Amino acid sequence: MSATATVSTPTGLAPSVPTAILAIARRELRDALSSKWFAMFTIAFAGLAIALSFLSLAGAGSSGFAGFGRTTAGLLNLIMLLVPLLALTAGAGSIAGERERGTLLYLLAQPISRSEVVIGKFLGLSGAICASLLLGFGLSACVLTWRAGGVGVGAFVALVALTCLLAMSMLAIGLLISVRSRKTSVATGLALCVWLALVFLSDLGLMAGTILFKLRVQEVFALAVLNPLQAFKMGVIMQMNASLDVLGPAGMYASRTFGDHLAWMLPGVVGVWGAMAMVIAMVLFARRVSV
Amino acid sequence: MLDMRYRNIGISIFVLTALAARCLAAQTTDVIGALIDAAAPGSTITVPAGVYQGHLRITKGVVLDGHGAVTIDGGGEGTVVELLAPNTTLRGFTISGSGAGVDREPAGIRAETGPVVIEDNVVDDVLFGIDLRTAPDSIVRNNLVTSKHLEAGRRGDGIRLWWSHNCTIEDNSVHRSRDMVFWYSEGLHIRGNHVTDSRYGLHFMYSHDTTLEHNTLDGNSVGIYLMYSNRITVQDNVLVRNRGASGYGLGLKDCDDIVVRNNAMLANRVGIYIDNSPSSVDSNGLVEHNAVQYNEIGFLATPNTHNNDLTENAFIENEQQVAVHGKGDLAQNHFARDGRGNFWSDYAGFDLQGDGIGDLPYESRNLFESLLATDPNLRIFVNSPAQQAVEFAGRALPQLQPNPSFTDPSPLVQRPVSLAAGTSSRFNAAMGFVSLILLCVAGAGLWLGAERGLRRKEALS
Amino acid sequence: MISARSVERHFGKNKAIDGVSFTLDQGRSLALWGSNGAGKTTLIRCLLGVIRFRGQVEIAGRDVRRSGKAVRACVGYVPQELAFHDDARVGESMRFFARLRGVPGGRASELLERVRLPDQERKRVRDLSGGMKQRLALAIALLSDPPIILLDEPTSNLDASGRRDVVEMLAELKQAGKTLLLASHRPDEVIALADRVLVIERGRVQADTTPKQLWPSEAAVQVVRLHVADGEGERAAQLLRNAGHAVDFNGHGLCVAVPRTQKASPIRVLTLANVEVRDFEFFDDLDAEEVRS
Repeated sequence: MSATATVSTPTGLAPSVPTAILAIARRELRDALSSKWFAMFTIAFAGLAIALSFLSLAGAGSSGFAGFGRTTAGLLNLIMLLVPLLALTAGAGSIAGERERGTLLYLLAQPISRSEVVIGKFLGLSGAICASLLLGFGLSACVLTWRAGGVGVGAFVALVALTCLLAMSMLAIGLLISVRSRKTSVATGLALCVWLALVFLSDLGLMAGTILFKLRVQEVFALAVLNPLQAFKMGVIMQMNASLDVLGPAGMYASRTFGDHLAWMLPGVVGVWGAMAMVIAMVLFARRVSV
Repeated sequence: MLDMRYRNIGISIFVLTALAARCLAAQTTDVIGALIDAAAPGSTITVPAGVYQGHLRITKGVVLDGHGAVTIDGGGEGTVVELLAPNTTLRGFTISGSGAGVDREPAGIRAETGPVVIEDNVVDDVLFGIDLRTAPDSIVRNNLVTSKHLEAGRRGDGIRLWWSHNCTIEDNSVHRSRDMVFWYSEGLHIRGNHVTDSRYGLHFMYSHDTTLEHNTLDGNSVGIYLMYSNRITVQDNVLVRNRGASGYGLGLKDCDDIVVRNNAMLANRVGIYIDNSPSSVDSNGLVEHNAVQYNEIGFLATPNTHNNDLTENAFIENEQQVAVHGKGDLAQNHFARDGRGNFWSDYAGFDLQGDGIGDLPYESRNLFESLLATDPNLRIFVNSPAQQAVEFAGRALPQLQPNPSFTDPSPLVQRPVSLAAGTSSRFNAAMGFVSLILLCVAGAGLWLGAERGLRRKEALS
Repeated sequence: MISARSVERHFGKNKAIDGVSFTLDQGRSLALWGSNGAGKTTLIRCLLGVIRFRGQVEIAGRDVRRSGKAVRACVGYVPQELAFHDDARVGESMRFFARLRGVPGGRASELLERVRLPDQERKRVRDLSGGMKQRLALAIALLSDPPIILLDEPTSNLDASGRRDVVEMLAELKQAGKTLLLASHRPDEVIALADRVLVIERGRVQADTTPKQLWPSEAAVQVVRLHVADGEGERAAQLLRNAGHAVDFNGHGLCVAVPRTQKASPIRVLTLANVEVRDFEFFDDLDAEEVRS
């Protein structure tokens, strides 16, 4: 061994922010892409998206008219079920998993702030999930290319973009769960609860409330749109139909009241959920007493 | 001989005034009036090209031909052209600038007597477009009508018939208007018209014994609305995206003996709406061979509706295939005739004999749909997993299952082919481009994740 | 270089660190000496600023809590047991931490050679032996050539030769002017590396001394492992500590560091207190793996 270790001047300078964040993001991306659950999700999503594209083509045979039929709704349903599930559990597992394995301490002992860890993880996982979604959508678009003259490209691109936004938002909520959880199992359980609440319970509760309390149309809309999944769904419908009138009286109320503003308001709701979750996650993580 | 002379005079006037039109910015309609005064009844007058200001009252049965080069501008007041003599033909004019006040109902072209022929005209910036008042046996053909830029409620009708029997209305295009409406007019032939962005595409009031065929109604509040009109055949029409507040592709109110055949109702709020039709006890309605597709509700009827036969229709991917408007059922209608029902895209039965008829009846027992009937506000939850959950609960728990509102005893397992809308399955190049981009981005993401592995291999080699 | 004032850290009602203060000058080395659970590891984590504490810690003139990132940039940390992504390969991990520390990845292979892990870049971290992992951790700590190195029982997972290597390397680093702070319960290590020893028990500083004072006859320290009756271990450890011995009490018995000439003294202490000593062993070579097994 050569005794070349010289006393360097104290390198008090921390590496520039993006380098550290990007390093974590990159490792997170790599880890996600090489994990089994992720490969499974990618295959499942791509397979279902392709199958649904074929089905919708079979349905759209007459006049090649791209309506908002049950098959399109099927794709939407698929996204609303799978994407939050994947993003929430992926986010929930990331920091809690490192904490459980003890690697988080070692990471935090490096010249890096906790917010950078959260942001880096967010970026890396977003990249991985979006890549997986784009793969599925890309293959589905391949099928549509084949013989879907009437399908609007703009609406399809909007669907892809909104789905990525939804995934990032859900990922942020997953990270929020993760910074507070000591164990991966607890974090995953919590993530599943949140998923259940967002996908089913809140809507079902609101349905019951609508019937029981005879909620007025603006109340139904306001309460429904608070759910990021509903906001996502309405955002997609808005892009496909340029109006929410397919959603009955509440949708017509919204279209009439907010008009074209809905086109940014609805994605805005989804984005605000994600942004708030990220901020809270960073604050909670920074304030944590231990690792 | 006489005609030839007039034609020669006409042509020379045409040439002269065409030259004059270059010098003068505009002339008045008195020039045309003078031409008519000079012409014999039944003669053909070719109006010199140019823009004419003012109004035109045609009181002699002549053929006025503008050859697409004549504009009559009413200057935003009153009715622009009035046809007051029978056997008048108005052809090849551009007519614009009627008044805007509703009380006098100013129109682009108004006929007060029949028969007249109004064809190949462009009518725009008018309150009412073409208005036939007691003008029987007339022909309105191949006109293009656009209303003034007014909000929907203040526009006039694109084409209106009032007490005008046995008319032919064909190949007209009406945009951004109120209705193409028929009052008290019988024995009409309505063919090949195209109505968009209006209120009611084709609207019948107390007008009987008529055929509507090959019309396209796209993006109106309602496509075809028949009210209090009997013995009407509606066939081979395309009713698309009619999505106003009621948003019916085809609506029937108190109409007897209606045949609805071979139409395509696509992406309307409601494909077919039936309100108390037939209204007489002994009359029947027939709905057959229609493609009802991508509507929020495929077939909607009030509970008192009876005596309608629905057969060989294709109900495809409507969010709600059949619904009742209010409490009740559709038990007094027949969803099959001679053992042949309809095709339902969500039919879950099977056909063991292979006779093309499903072995299980098609019934709608959808819990979410029955909740929708309770509170329409719930429609905001469609297309979400929560809706699926409710429907699943309805299937899984029989005590939650609502009673079926109707039954198709012999549903078709193959989709009927003879439908108005043809198939088009074009190659979509733009979508291919999108696909390429998406796959490239996804590939870049995957590559970024695997990049270290690559670099390692390079280092090794 | 390092100054800690009244550092306190609670776990619920237990005080893991209870008012620890010390200073360490540049180029000097300090050992934290104490049994398992004395609070050494917790104190090191406080110094790194990865857990919250009361009191004040300044490293290289910076407050850890206020500018933890800057502080950690000039601190290399070697944990007791290297815990990071097991799937990752050695070279990959090195490059990752190089990025985090903002140094070129090219240093990685040079450092791996220096900690005697050459040609291991392709190996997965989980396939490394404990010793190799520890050397990898050292390599990572040295990535940005930091002036201060914190080591939490750096040799606890190493075999005899591996330990000698690491101690030798650390000694060289110390000679080269690095400031070292290591937690240890191995007298030989402390004697070889530390200028000063902070004896810590139950989160408090018991003594701020030197290795020579702690073990007067130099290099004459041996570890004796005593086996006492079940349930008596805790009391026995306390008795021995009260008698001035350094004790490590774990599942395999009491490990006591004793001067070579007074090997029987722990037995005497316990016998006087009516604690039965059933068996004892000596370890000539202070091999942690053997002591623990």
